[in-house]
Amino acid sequence: MARIVGGLGTSHVPSIGAALDKGLRDTPEWKPFFDGYVPAQEWVREQRPDVAVVVFNDHFNALFLDRVPTFAVGCAPEYHPVDEGWGPRAIPPFEGAADFGWHLVDTLVDNHFDPEIIQEIKVDHGLQVPMELFWGRPPEAWPVKVVPIFVNVLQYPIPLPDRLYALGKVLGRAIESHDSDERFVVLGTGGLSHQLQGARAGFVNPEADRRFLEDIAHDPGKLAGWSREQYVETFGGEGAELIMWLVMRGALTPEVVVRHRHYFVPASMTGAGMIVMENT
Amino acid sequence: MGGEADRIPDTPLLDRERRLRGYRINKMAMGLGDPANRAAFQADEPAYLDRFGLSDEEKAAVLSRDWSEMVRLGGNLFFILKISAVDPVRITEIGAHQAGMDHESFLRDRLGKKV
Repeated sequence: MARIVGGLGTSHVPSIGAALDKGLRDTPEWKPFFDGYVPAQEWVREQRPDVAVVVFNDHFNALFLDRVPTFAVGCAPEYHPVDEGWGPRAIPPFEGAADFGWHLVDTLVDNHFDPEIIQEIKVDHGLQVPMELFWGRPPEAWPVKVVPIFVNVLQYPIPLPDRLYALGKVLGRAIESHDSDERFVVLGTGGLSHQLQGARAGFVNPEADRRFLEDIAHDPGKLAGWSREQYVETFGGEGAELIMWLVMRGALTPEVVVRHRHYFVPASMTGAGMIVMENT
Repeated sequence: MGGEADRIPDTPLLDRERRLRGYRINKMAMGLGDPANRAAFQADEPAYLDRFGLSDEEKAAVLSRDWSEMVRLGGNLFFILKISAVDPVRITEIGAHQAGMDHESFLRDRLGKKV
């Protein structure tokens, strides 16, 4: 059976990808941020995962308001970068692990989660940036297949934090019941604190962000029990997307070992956090 | 949550009311993900806006790059940010505009940057 080698959490701020595109990695503004990911990249190289399940949200680049799935699972053979206004970014397309995508859909529906099934879609910075941060940008092809899980965290009503944690537990069971020898990582993406709209734009909360990076490892049940309003209030309007980390955390064992953790503020307008966890 | 989402002050969330109100403006901005539409926007912006049936109020907000007003009218940042791909402006400037602050104060006082 397949197995989970770890859970990764990271922000997915578009400016991170833009900084890489513009060759700003080693500038004083960005170097401390990117250097924080070096140990995580070493961890990924050592663990050699075959499949990355990436929990993220499309930011109205591939999906419009005409149809808003609360949960969607990618079952596509490949995912190309979407044009977010500046043209598609010059990174290789992502190969999909469609066999696991379908197994995940089957397992979710058997457990009373009913996702939209996606056969053809492009992916935005929400998936691109985490992949670049943990794997580095490859010259030709990514060394890992992906299965995207899209979560609506923008159009209200967004799902309850507790519901995402429960979905993560089913995801963990789906991986462990998948008939293959593949090594899986699960990525929870988004956040941490930031707000892009309204007079409270520019809100960040470093203290709460650092607390979150502790609690996601050691007290996820508390975070799952928070209301959506608490997330918006504590982490900002767009910071509420942090609830997607609960899917990743739910897929892991109740106790985890934290291998790496990093925090940097501000990346553009965001408190940027990262964590690498392993099952016990 | 629905209509209760605005209980958090100065934090507009994309609830049912905003979704309906901002649908045209957001659809117009979504179109800028297509290079042909970006060219049309650059060539004749009012004509491009008319294609999506924007009201005079909505057109004025877009044409004057009044970000706070676009958001007030239901525009969502993830859509209207695409305007900055055609007519470059930093996201922190859009933030400062909505916060009613000059850019340097916004970077320093909101984001904690050393400026």
